[in-house]
Amino acid sequence: MTDTVLTMTDAQLSLDGNAGRVDILKGITLSVQRGESLGLIGPSGSGKSSLLMLMGGLERATGGQVTALGHDLTRLGEDALARFRREHMGVVFQSFHLIPTMTALENVATPLELAGVADAFDRASAELDQVGLAARKDHYPAQMSGGEQQRVALARAAAPRPDILLADEPTGNLDGTTGQAIMDLLFGLRDRHGATLILVTHSRELAARCNRVIRLRDGQIAPEQDAKAAE
Amino acid sequence: MTLRLATRIALRELRGGLSGFRVFLACLALGVAAIAAVGTVRESINAGLQREGAVILGGDASIALTYRFATDEERAWMAEVALEVSEIVDFRSMAVTETDRALTQVKAVDDAYPIYGETMLEPDVSLVAALDGDGSVPGAVMDRVLAERMGLGPGDSFRLGTQDFTLSAILVREPDAAAGGFGLGPRTIVRTSALENSGLLTPGTLFDSQYRMRFAEGADLVLIEADARTSLEGAGLRWQDRRNGAPGLTEFVDRLSAFLVLVGLAGLAVGGVGVSAAVRSYLDSKTSTIATLKTLGANRRTVFLTYFIQVGALTLLGIVLGLALGGLVPIAFAPLIEASLPVPAEFTLHLRPLAEAALYGTLTALLFTVWPLARTEDVRAAELFRDAGLSHPGLPRPVWIFVTFAILGALVASAATLSGLVTIALWSAAGLVAAFATLIGASIAIRLIARRLARAGWLRGHTTARLAMGAVGGPGSETTSVVLSLGVGLTVLAAIGQIDSNLRGAIARDLPQVAPSYFVVDIQNDQLQGFRDRLTEKPGVETVESAPMLRGIITQINGRPAAETAGDHWVLQGDRGITYSTDPPEGAVITAGTWWEADYSGPPQVSFAAEEAAEMNLSLGDEVTINVLGRDIAANVTSFREVDFSTAGIGFILSMNPAALAGAPHTHIATVYADEAAEAGILRDLAQTYPNITAIRVRDAIDRVSEVLRSIAAAVTYGALATLLTGGIVLIGAAAAGERSRTFEAAVLKTLGATRGAILANFALRSALIGAAAGLVAIAAGAAAGWGITRFVMDTDYVFEPISAFAIVVGGVLVTLVAGLAFAWGPLAARPASVLRARE
Repeated sequence: MTDTVLTMTDAQLSLDGNAGRVDILKGITLSVQRGESLGLIGPSGSGKSSLLMLMGGLERATGGQVTALGHDLTRLGEDALARFRREHMGVVFQSFHLIPTMTALENVATPLELAGVADAFDRASAELDQVGLAARKDHYPAQMSGGEQQRVALARAAAPRPDILLADEPTGNLDGTTGQAIMDLLFGLRDRHGATLILVTHSRELAARCNRVIRLRDGQIAPEQDAKAAE
Repeated sequence: MTLRLATRIALRELRGGLSGFRVFLACLALGVAAIAAVGTVRESINAGLQREGAVILGGDASIALTYRFATDEERAWMAEVALEVSEIVDFRSMAVTETDRALTQVKAVDDAYPIYGETMLEPDVSLVAALDGDGSVPGAVMDRVLAERMGLGPGDSFRLGTQDFTLSAILVREPDAAAGGFGLGPRTIVRTSALENSGLLTPGTLFDSQYRMRFAEGADLVLIEADARTSLEGAGLRWQDRRNGAPGLTEFVDRLSAFLVLVGLAGLAVGGVGVSAAVRSYLDSKTSTIATLKTLGANRRTVFLTYFIQVGALTLLGIVLGLALGGLVPIAFAPLIEASLPVPAEFTLHLRPLAEAALYGTLTALLFTVWPLARTEDVRAAELFRDAGLSHPGLPRPVWIFVTFAILGALVASAATLSGLVTIALWSAAGLVAAFATLIGASIAIRLIARRLARAGWLRGHTTARLAMGAVGGPGSETTSVVLSLGVGLTVLAAIGQIDSNLRGAIARDLPQVAPSYFVVDIQNDQLQGFRDRLTEKPGVETVESAPMLRGIITQINGRPAAETAGDHWVLQGDRGITYSTDPPEGAVITAGTWWEADYSGPPQVSFAAEEAAEMNLSLGDEVTINVLGRDIAANVTSFREVDFSTAGIGFILSMNPAALAGAPHTHIATVYADEAAEAGILRDLAQTYPNITAIRVRDAIDRVSEVLRSIAAAVTYGALATLLTGGIVLIGAAAAGERSRTFEAAVLKTLGATRGAILANFALRSALIGAAAGLVAIAAGAAAGWGITRFVMDTDYVFEPISAFAIVVGGVLVTLVAGLAFAWGPLAARPASVLRARE
């Protein structure tokens, strides 16, 4: 039996900018199955990251419906969305977005603490071991390289064992070799924890590692969305 | 060429506007304004005193004598030089009715009084008419406060000594009141001739006489003064003229305002923290511009000058704003300020205080900006390719360190010179530098502790607390700037709180435990035995001590003017009490030399208070010339003894052998130690039995002194609050500067699942922690300063005062909370997606 973790029905996103209202997403309809890995590709400005933000409840749809694990994200308030993310989602960004005043270990432990996990630090420590940063736990982000920071971000996203892992161009700021290592880690974590992975990327190569790929163009799903056959 | 080029680039850069410099301008303008305002008020009062000098003094010049009236020869000299002379007698006495008695400062006048100015009475009658009385009984006028205390109204009778008076009117304004200085009792004015039968002005009574003179238009005061000093040499006279009608008052105003300027400098230093932070942050944002300029061939000097000119222009703007504010606000509020001042003031723009404030502002701005400006030299063209700011660790080139110390030296030297309080200015500067060093050290310690706590096992699971600790201790923390900006103001407040409570505690709480109940003066020789016997027999009276008392002025030491040996020591300021005694006072400790034999009758000898003698550079064998009642007595210092003034008992700086003062008319003073319950009865009995003597209730005197101290503490507290206000602006600046990072942090925390409540609690807790830390450090530093000053300067015991200390911690927490939370709403309201997207 297929288990749908996320559905979007005619989801729209319009933002007010200096030059007037801009329609970013123009009616996206899709569904994502549990355990699936979905790649979102498309040219710059096509709405990939915005779509990911809608899925994570970080942005509120201005039209249509976004449902994740049975919750209508368009109807949840900001704090309810935060609680939902804490329990079900992990997010990895292109620019890592670690909190600069916290060490690696504290950054990873924070979502676990927010979720009330008793052994937050032990689990965070184990997670950092998993991503190969056992020796860097007490370092602040500014003391680490980009690759190391992204590994901390990965550990932070994976530590609460989220149902859905959202990754927004996680290798965009990294060199090829480091990026490759990060992707190995990301897919490794997904495989180990059985999370659903939704990955925004520019790279066809990376997208090819996903079960399914959706191509966005000008805020809409391009017709050839299923061009990449699930392998 | 470099300067022109740098100016052109600087002007182009300034086109970006001043939005990033609001805190810079506010800090500088406020600091300069506070100093300019204090100076403007000071100059206005001094100008007022100068303008009204003759009115305040009561004449163009005044000759004051202690304890005696002018001789015929002196009167003849005055009659010759002056167009008009008015004789005033000033002394303390008791106003007595059938049911009540109260201490009053009596001014006995003649019909020429007042030569200048007008006395205002209620009802509106002339002073001459009021003092005429009803024909049978002479008239008097009295301060409202005294009349009300005694339940007297116009037409009622009261007594001074043995003379009855009718209260003709209430004294609303006494034109020469400001020159009177600190008096223990409210004023009563009577005619001198009416005191003939009062028994109050007998030989030996403690009174001052003053002869106010009116000169012809254009008379040369310098020449007349010189003539007075030559013609009346050795008369022990004190000369004053309208050039400085109220020297005591002028000195008080000068000293208090100088002290307030020093407090203002502390405020400016706090503002310097904000100025420095603003310049650092501005130059940080200019790293790529600087790197680009260097890529294009700009040398170190051009780059430095470019930003020096920009900061200089902003400094100029800040100073001009401050001067406008500090110069104009006192003028705008002149009617209000004048109404609350007991002295005349002439509010207008005074250049000197504005120049002084501008100098302080310039030096402070230089001091706090030279270091960040010097850092522009270290930016390399290569930094264009790296994400690095100006926050390089390490020191700038040695020349800049030297320049920094040179500016600091110039600032301290200016404060010492301009305030005229060299010692206090140097101590204040040292205190301020120490406070800054302590606060920097404390903020480093706070960050270390917070970092440790953030990692402490027991804090795990308490996310809000741990996040707050992480923010307090982690990189980019606001701790240092907040602790510095808030800490200095709070430290000054804490020190004032500790000193004020200890000093007033010593005077108002501890002193009555050891002090006598009454200080009695003007006891005549023939009254002394009866007075002692009568009191000793009274129930409730524990001890009665008495001593003969004369007054005199030390004029020479070893045949040279006294000031040459002892400078401006307070013992030389005006006349001092002198006693004589066959034996050393009971329990006296002779620290050097020997007391004279009981029957000694050789050349005069004097025993001097040891501490004061040391301060005045006196040695055993020195010859001290004392003018007593117009007669010079040259006495050899034969012993030093300890005199304890802290118990308010009888203590004389000068004690002479009895033969030295034989024949000099004098009275006795006494201290009466009694139960508080018996005090009222003693006063009643004394007033009835010995109408001429004056009993000063020590508790009342203590209350008056406490009141004055409270007013001074209040003035200094206002100064400290101005410092705190500057600190508040720096704090707001720091909070505003940190808003961007808090917005980012809130966005990440929301992404990780934190609710707005949790984020707000985190922000509030970190603000409160830093505020509390600043408060605690301030209490420690303030208590240390309070202890030092109480123990070593004021020579009293120190007790930690917890109430003001607690208020300071609460204040610190509240101020940082308000500043922190005021800038929390933006981060809380921001959508995480837009914040994080902007950072991608």
